[in-house]
Amino acid sequence: MSRTSHLQEVLEGAHFAVTAECGPPKGADPQTLREKAQALKGYVDAVNVTDNQTAVVRLCSLASCAILKQMGLDPVLQMTTRDRNRIALQSDLLGASALGIGNVLCLSGDHVSFGSEPQALGVFDLDSVQLLYTARLMRDQGKFLGGGVLSDPPRLFLGAVENPFADPLSFRAKRLAKKVAAGAQFIQTQCVYNLERFEEWMKQVQDLGLQEKTHILAGVTPLKSARMARYMKERVAGMDLPDPLVQRMERTPAPKQREEGLRIALETIEALKNIPGVRGIHIMAIEWEEVVPVLVEKSGLLPRPLT
Amino acid sequence: MITGTRKPMEEILSMIVPYKRILVAGCGTCVAECASGGEKEVALLASQLRMHAKLKNISLEVGEITLDRQCVYEFIDQLTPFLEKYDAVLSLACGAGVQAVAEVFPQWVILPGLDTAFLGETKQAGLWVENCRGCGACRLHMFAGICPITRCAKKLFNGPCGGSQAGRCEVSPEVACAWYLIFQRLESQGRLECLEEIYPPCDWSRQQGIGPRRIQREDQRA
Amino acid sequence: MEPHQRLQVAVFFCQQLDPQQDLHSRELEHKWGSSVLFFPMHCSGRVEALHLLKSLEEGADRVLVLTCPEGRCRYREGSLRARKRLEYARSLLEEIGLEPSRLELRAPPAQSPRHIARILEPILEEPWEHGPCALKSGGAEGRNS
Repeated sequence: MSRTSHLQEVLEGAHFAVTAECGPPKGADPQTLREKAQALKGYVDAVNVTDNQTAVVRLCSLASCAILKQMGLDPVLQMTTRDRNRIALQSDLLGASALGIGNVLCLSGDHVSFGSEPQALGVFDLDSVQLLYTARLMRDQGKFLGGGVLSDPPRLFLGAVENPFADPLSFRAKRLAKKVAAGAQFIQTQCVYNLERFEEWMKQVQDLGLQEKTHILAGVTPLKSARMARYMKERVAGMDLPDPLVQRMERTPAPKQREEGLRIALETIEALKNIPGVRGIHIMAIEWEEVVPVLVEKSGLLPRPLT
Repeated sequence: MITGTRKPMEEILSMIVPYKRILVAGCGTCVAECASGGEKEVALLASQLRMHAKLKNISLEVGEITLDRQCVYEFIDQLTPFLEKYDAVLSLACGAGVQAVAEVFPQWVILPGLDTAFLGETKQAGLWVENCRGCGACRLHMFAGICPITRCAKKLFNGPCGGSQAGRCEVSPEVACAWYLIFQRLESQGRLECLEEIYPPCDWSRQQGIGPRRIQREDQRA
Repeated sequence: MEPHQRLQVAVFFCQQLDPQQDLHSRELEHKWGSSVLFFPMHCSGRVEALHLLKSLEEGADRVLVLTCPEGRCRYREGSLRARKRLEYARSLLEEIGLEPSRLELRAPPAQSPRHIARILEPILEEPWEHGPCALKSGGAEGRNS
């Protein structure tokens, strides 16, 4: 089967992949998006564009991905099931393929109550597993969910997210198995700070033989400050920041905290490179996209393969 | 039962302004159970309205009645003798009752005294919790008796999502993660394999309907 | 008698406070006339918001709920329940512009004599912030329309 995207080529060529995330603006001018994306060129294999992340309205992922594609990058279209029903979702999948966007990441999405439009209806016609299933149905069988036949199937490389640190822990690897069974060809995890717990999860994943069936990219988010570390530990759902890590940041004098955060990220990446079954990293440096090239270079991950 | 809460007093007072004779009408079924529209609540509201009118020097006559149900014609009909005696009915029934009464007496002004809320259970005295959204396609047997449409904030059928933490939903620490509950209960029943199946998309047309939904039974009709 | 004692007071009280409450309350009624009305209850927890509102509606200026001393409720939670219902009744008064503090709950101290008059008189002798209830004059008393 021919490869749909650069990311697919990298992963299926058994290279260690690097992806990063780009947040679109809260307005109609894509200039900042272009600038962020330009800074990533040559340092990553693919760029994710978030989809109204935290339920805050932003320039849509589909348009943003089209812009990135024009710039010569390999975009990953993040698609949540929160804002669109199955009609729109299937339609957008066709749109993505028509625009040459090869990677789609299927997620449920953060609840509307977190965002800028808390009175909005959360659609959730499908969940992320059902979206994966639907996308694969369209791609491999040329059929719509409602049974109709497509005139041309989309060409897509399908991904999903998993959070090794959410509860119930013992079920997390099994849930990943479900996503893989539904069609997930690559997985990007929630950012890793607790390596021990991540390794435990990877072990469960390997026990189920999943690392053979899907490509797992571990999430990395560099800490900008001790305050950020404390905030993420206490206020963000699904995060596991071990106390020693937060304390390490808090013991560092303020002007040196960014440096320390970067150091921690580099240590994490080094450890992740050596965990069997980890096929790459996904760097989520929100509002700090300029640090991605630094991380990639200092981790010895340059040059990027197949370029 | 169907639950509801009494509307804020300012709203009620502004609704009754044009009327000199009001009949406060309660319902003895669901809304009595959730202490918002039964006989006691009728008496309380009527007392408040009378006292308020006295304080404001407004002339207002307030009657009180509680029907067994306000959603069945045979009971609604009991209001007939009051038609000439009151200008408007302040109904403390759920929306179904208010509309049913308005249908039987189309020339009478029927005012809603409650904000109808949800289908739920009495969890403890004084605590009512939503547990059903009337999807019309019940699959509770697959989820160990815990409805993911009602109790999962994202209506996931293949949950939990990544925001589930310590058995709590990401939307609020006061909300239990329904999928965590489903997982726990299936685990305790030795039925975890139920979660290995990929549940297909829901047929929402059974909830959405084509216009208001209806149930018709010829064997039950007169 | 102090001027405020000419106000109409409704007293809901737990019968456990005074085993001879029937006799003692009638004595008080003789002494004070109809300005005090007694409503004995098996347990103060049986008091309902409706009783309290109706008392005001029917002419009381002040409503007192007397529970057993704290921790002494024969039915254990009655006095707690009474407190919650009183708070609820107060919120209903506030909604229509009547002073919530016209309703009051008192738990006499543990060593109180088991005699309703001796429990009540000191309470009624305290200065009280309110005058006659505005319901009687049908409007204005201190309230802006």
